[in-house]
Amino acid sequence: MSEITSTPVPSSEPLDLIKLCLDEQIFVKLRGSREMIGKLHAYDSHCNMVLSDAVETIYYVHDSQSGEIKSKTKKSEMVFVRGDSVILVTDAANV
Amino acid sequence: MSKSASSTAAATTTSSTSNFLSEITNSQVIVKLTNGLEYVGILSSIDGYMNVVLENSKEIVNSTEIRTYSEVFLRGNNVLYISQD
Repeated sequence: MSEITSTPVPSSEPLDLIKLCLDEQIFVKLRGSREMIGKLHAYDSHCNMVLSDAVETIYYVHDSQSGEIKSKTKKSEMVFVRGDSVILVTDAANV
Repeated sequence: MSKSASSTAAATTTSSTSNFLSEITNSQVIVKLTNGLEYVGILSSIDGYMNVVLENSKEIVNSTEIRTYSEVFLRGNNVLYISQD
């Protein structure tokens, strides 16, 4: 964080929102039409995150003619999400 | 760290862009992401990576509102632009 010196020093920075979500259920939108809901155990400045009891929802086009979209879910007890695939993070209660 | 002398001149120009960002905090903004999604809401904080937190935001795809979030974090690398609404 300290390497960017010209940044205005905000009284609260965006990652504080994620800090507030520790031990809470969060909703994460990921690249590749994926979403994940799980309990946030840890995160870092890259948005790498460790989630427990996570449910990943993957959306895909079922029928390319009609454009029908289906989804499938995958559950994992504990998952490490690499930060570079993160698009959006919010409290799962907000969704 | 070693480029302190040369960065003074550059700092004037870079500070004006970040001044803009700090000036528009707490106002209504549109954040467009590279994947085409748009978020309209109140900019509550922003950092040097362009990570953004919006309050009371609407998620818009193809000019249709899909979802609302009372508070949402957007990762900076996905940001295309931030405009004052």
